Amino acid sequence: MAGVGFQRWVRTLSKGKISGISGLLPACRSGEILTYFPINIGEIAAAAKKYNIRVEDYKPIADNGEGYGDYPQLPDRSQQDRDPAYQWDHPDLRRNWNEPMHWDFDMFIRNRVDTSPTVVPWSTMCKQLFGFVGFMLFMFYLGDKFPAYQPVGPKQFPYNNLHLERGGSPDVEPEEVKNYEI
Amino acid sequence: MADYREAPLATRPKTLDPNEYFNLSPDYRRAEAERAALRAGLKRQYQLQLNNPHRKELIEDPALNRWVYARANPYNHFKATKKTSLLGALFGVAPLFILYYVFKTDRVCYGGR
Repeated sequence: MAGVGFQRWVRTLSKGKISGISGLLPACRSGEILTYFPINIGEIAAAAKKYNIRVEDYKPIADNGEGYGDYPQLPDRSQQDRDPAYQWDHPDLRRNWNEPMHWDFDMFIRNRVDTSPTVVPWSTMCKQLFGFVGFMLFMFYLGDKFPAYQPVGPKQFPYNNLHLERGGSPDVEPEEVKNYEI
Repeated sequence: MADYREAPLATRPKTLDPNEYFNLSPDYRRAEAERAALRAGLKRQYQLQLNNPHRKELIEDPALNRWVYARANPYNHFKATKKTSLLGALFGVAPLFILYYVFKTDRVCYGGR
């Protein structure tokens, strides 16, 4: 709680000229750095103007200490979801120059996460996937329970059931093993 | 298609969006007009810079600069709340102790053989 009061004090002190390291960066000099979460109408209007959003549309990301500052919460739509026929300034990114970027813009590029509407409804997708997987699982279970294979007998070996190979002495006459029937 | 339900986290096709057909109030239209005006202003700025024959440098994109700066400097606005402390403990502190314990016991097992 004391931290919040200290932050406000620092904020009011530092309003005005930007000094120190921040003054050297071109983004900071033109006043484009990420500032603190807006608390009054003046700050909200300034932030909306900075990000080129309507004041009514500007909604900062919730202030829960995760470091968003006054960055706006834009709709979570991927770039693939945008109109392919419109004349974008950057057609591969489907974005116009100086358009406010989503916080997760690098996630929403067309190579990555895609939120565009699905071709079939969610229920159809669920039914198809779980139906197929469930059916296959059930059939494999049945196949395991009721195996079906060619009838087999014990393997037959030549040379009197491999008498010498199995360690039998060459002097002893092995018993005659007949594995066939004519 | 009356029972079309979009996938979670996906959007609805524009042709199935009820706003397209039922939201025709003047306020909504004025809002759309204001948004279009903002967009047109930005487009105009870009085109002026793009087609300026005396321009020798790259066109700087302020929105990109803001985004890069915002993504690179979240700690300036970090606050130690319950959620952030829990996340920090789960991902930063706990793995250290867990991995130390796992490696230590594993090594001892092999050493004993």
